[in-house]
Amino acid sequence: MKVQVNRTVVDIFDGARAQHAVLRYLVHRRLSQALLKQGRIQDAYGHEIGLDAPLHEGQIIKFKV
Amino acid sequence: MKKLFLTVAAVFLLASAAFAEKKEIRILSVNDIHAKIENMPQLAAIVDSLRAIYPDMLVMSAGDNRTGEPLNDLYEVPTYPMVALMNQIGFDCSTLGNHEFDGGQTGLATVTHLSNFPYICCNIHPDPKWGINTIPYKVFVIDDVRIAVIGAVQVGKAGHPDSHPDNVTDILFTPVEETLQEYKWLADENDVVILLTHIGYEEDVELSQYVRWADLIIGGHSHTQVNGGEVHNGVMITQVVNRLDNVTFITLTVQDGKVVDRKAENIKVEGYPKKNTAVAELLRFFSDNPAFKRVLATLTAPMTSYEELGCMMTDAWRVETGADLAFTNTGGVRYDYLPAGPFTVSDVLRLDPFGNDSVQMELTGQEFKDMLIATTYADSEYGFPKVSGVNCEVIFDKKNPEKIKDLKITLPDGGKFDLKKTYKVTTNSYTAAIANSPRKDQGRALNRTTASLIQEYLEHQKTIDYTGVCRVKQSVSAK
Repeated sequence: MKVQVNRTVVDIFDGARAQHAVLRYLVHRRLSQALLKQGRIQDAYGHEIGLDAPLHEGQIIKFKV
Repeated sequence: MKKLFLTVAAVFLLASAAFAEKKEIRILSVNDIHAKIENMPQLAAIVDSLRAIYPDMLVMSAGDNRTGEPLNDLYEVPTYPMVALMNQIGFDCSTLGNHEFDGGQTGLATVTHLSNFPYICCNIHPDPKWGINTIPYKVFVIDDVRIAVIGAVQVGKAGHPDSHPDNVTDILFTPVEETLQEYKWLADENDVVILLTHIGYEEDVELSQYVRWADLIIGGHSHTQVNGGEVHNGVMITQVVNRLDNVTFITLTVQDGKVVDRKAENIKVEGYPKKNTAVAELLRFFSDNPAFKRVLATLTAPMTSYEELGCMMTDAWRVETGADLAFTNTGGVRYDYLPAGPFTVSDVLRLDPFGNDSVQMELTGQEFKDMLIATTYADSEYGFPKVSGVNCEVIFDKKNPEKIKDLKITLPDGGKFDLKKTYKVTTNSYTAAIANSPRKDQGRALNRTTASLIQEYLEHQKTIDYTGVCRVKQSVSAK
């Protein structure tokens, strides 16, 4: 399924959680995976969501450090 | 005289209506606890302190009470610790989350029977043979105020909640919004209507436009931290992030059979300074879990390297998921020695402690090869992955030792590995996420943790010996 992290669309397995999409984004952007634990993930409404938050096709999330 | 009496009576009635008593209903709601049992004594202390002021306060869960803590999920009666702790705290109700199904139909049936509170869910229709005990709605009456709570669980693309398909066979799930509308009549017969949903925040917002007859949606599933409560389409929506970091305290003001005011605020559970001692004692009891000492298989010889343990892990994933190939990032193998003798549940959880889900993909041989290389680069601290179903010869570049110059893959019997053939490949969710290589199929989560696959494999094998097993040979190029 395709999920948008910041401005990047990542293709990730069905059933992936927020942390998986962000990990793929970090690897894709050649950033350290350690940032995952330092940043905050938000949904399209700007609410914080957990690392284990389930994702759905087309979902937009934001990752901020 | 009669006219005067009627006039006085009418004035009195109008006045009493205008000044009808306002009543306040309090609710403490949680969602997606995911068996964060170590925070339950703090939650209990919060509930105690609020109930001291508001004895009729309702405590509700919007589902996913279990899954995420081996102490709970691997108990002799799986998830019994959470049930016992929720009973002790005095939950009034819970809806079903998709993870309530992770223990299978009989597991869920046991949980529903052991709980002192009802599981409210209107869109589940289990075959009676399972004995799953749920109700579509429940009416609570507090201070003569009638509060109808209707529950609903998420239905995924596959037509059932996101759990392993085996866990939901012979259970019918009906669409959330359509099914909820069948209970609209409850709004006419009650003063307050609450939807206790496990469908996700965005879905709750969408749902709100069709259920304006409801006053409140207490949601779960998406682990969304809503700041108190938000009103969408006239319906208040609440939800908190997962694992009992926060709870939501809701006050509904009811007058003349209507909700005239709604407030919701978050209370921090994580780090709360007080604990309920009875719940803390119960937690201590559950923490000494004999299930962790259960012997799954016997090691006839010690396992003495990451390679041997990684080969065993990936064999387990390959065999138990019916795959052709399996692999793991080497960082996922957490120790390199285990003495001969019993291989226990605890040993498995130390070996694979991350709670990773298993992910299966259909990959060509070339895509598999690319994925192994991508995993090596993304997991560079640990190096080339551990594999099952093939042997690998990796040659690193002498000039740049982190770069793979050549990778030769062969079948276990030494035969040629076909780069064009399609293989069923299993890995863990972390590896599937970090391996950023081109492939047509990104795969799908199997809703079975990789640790549970290892446990099942060991139980099926009974005895194992991986002495000297080595599938990955690594060298550095001459030039």
